[in-house]
Amino acid sequence: MRPRCGSDMGLIVKTSSRAVIPLIGIFGAYIVMHGHLTPGGGFQGGATIAGAGILFLVAFGLDEMKKRYNKSLYSALEGIGGLAFLGVAMLGMSVAFFYNTLWHTWPFNGKPGTLLSAGFLPIMNLAVGLKVFTGLVSALTAIATYRRWKS
Amino acid sequence: MKRTIAYLSLLFILGVFLYIANPGYGLIFGPGGKEWLSLRYTDNYYITHGLKEVGGMNIVTDIVFDYRGYDTIGEATVLFTAIAGAIALLRPWRRDEA
Repeated sequence: MRPRCGSDMGLIVKTSSRAVIPLIGIFGAYIVMHGHLTPGGGFQGGATIAGAGILFLVAFGLDEMKKRYNKSLYSALEGIGGLAFLGVAMLGMSVAFFYNTLWHTWPFNGKPGTLLSAGFLPIMNLAVGLKVFTGLVSALTAIATYRRWKS
Repeated sequence: MKRTIAYLSLLFILGVFLYIANPGYGLIFGPGGKEWLSLRYTDNYYITHGLKEVGGMNIVTDIVFDYRGYDTIGEATVLFTAIAGAIALLRPWRRDEA
């Protein structure tokens, strides 16, 4: 048996990760969207989606990941996530930093417990989830790209 | 014989752990009951006021994104710093190319 020259895994791992990666992504998106209702939130859901990306990196190898991974897009998305988090936090600046002014004064708020409620909490969850997802995928891709040992 | 002693000592250690873990007469980690309510009134405040003041059903999200928002900013900064540090330390150096 000759040593594998590529960095991807075998056929079984690839096929099962093709089936599992969308499910992990959907579950992470559910955790992020329902962050203000059920246990979980931006960090946890973002880490779950990043787990899907890291599974892609591990199963399909670095060469395939380099084709799909766009560095400038990911850094822009991370910046947008952080800036949206800070900007939404600034909205209630007339009262206090991190004051949920959308919840107190916005007329379109649903009842507590529905998906479209809780003012800025869903926006913040989405922003933090985007930031954590892009950040963790970028970190793992950087670690895989810049490895020091020869293969 | 040795094996029997080993199992007996394991059983003894398990019994000691169970005795310690019982809050009735073992170790007590922090106050409880009425004393807890008088010392840690912020916990009760979050539970009773969180839904009205912030609006989320998940009280942990209320605390993380509203009451303790600065902490979340710090966490996001730590994540960014970790990625920047990983890339700065792992990128190819001039010394390695030779």
